[in-house]
Amino acid sequence: MAKVAREMVERTGINVDELVELLISNASAELTTFYYYTILRVNLIGLEGEGIKEIAETARIEDRNHFEALVPRIYELGGKIPGNMNAFHDISACPPASLPENATDVKAILKVLVEAERCAVRGYTHICNLTAGKDHRTYDLALAILNEEVEHESWFSEFLGEGPSGHFMRRGETSPFVSKFLR
Amino acid sequence: MRVFTLQDLSRYNGRDGNLAYVAYRGLVYDVSGSYFFRGGRHWVRHNAGSDLSDEIDQAPHDESLLQRFPVVGSLTMVE
Repeated sequence: MAKVAREMVERTGINVDELVELLISNASAELTTFYYYTILRVNLIGLEGEGIKEIAETARIEDRNHFEALVPRIYELGGKIPGNMNAFHDISACPPASLPENATDVKAILKVLVEAERCAVRGYTHICNLTAGKDHRTYDLALAILNEEVEHESWFSEFLGEGPSGHFMRRGETSPFVSKFLR
Repeated sequence: MRVFTLQDLSRYNGRDGNLAYVAYRGLVYDVSGSYFFRGGRHWVRHNAGSDLSDEIDQAPHDESLLQRFPVVGSLTMVE
């Protein structure tokens, strides 16, 4: 634990135990999403599915990066991730992004993807709101993740016909916002 | 429609087998079926069995997410 770092956050009035619990449940959401997105990506096939596969893969890798970036902050603040993988899965901040019953229904897969991203956007907005102007490091991390989740949402939303995303797919490395926490 | 006091509502806290109800702007919703209220808590800080009107107004979502769940009564502030 980073003793003074935690103390600095406590002094702002933030309930650090609650914050750590939130970070753990969001770390769980990221890792479980990485797992479920693997299944979704595998099933994005055919004329409709192949065009979406690449952004699903980018979102999948970036969600894993989010997990990797969150874990050090959890430990800095005196928390720890559960020793049991089942327990970790069950505390996820977001519902499982499960494969739809009809695995060939690309639109249904897109709806699962966009709902997962929307849950993440809400979750990191919540953490940013809690930490803004108080816990600078957690805020910086949550904001970096939020930037990527917003882009993921807009990619999938565009494919659902909700309007242009205003974005293009990643060029170059993944996680342009979060990579500074992964070095 | 059943009328709940805050004390009545507090029994529906989603814990120990209790149903999970929350109030928002005078209506009481049954959120027992919501993934987000497992164990009676939503994102660590928001508890079932209480009036969440102020908290929802500050939440990163609007009330439409709550309105997907059945209304089971109204909330009175008279004890």
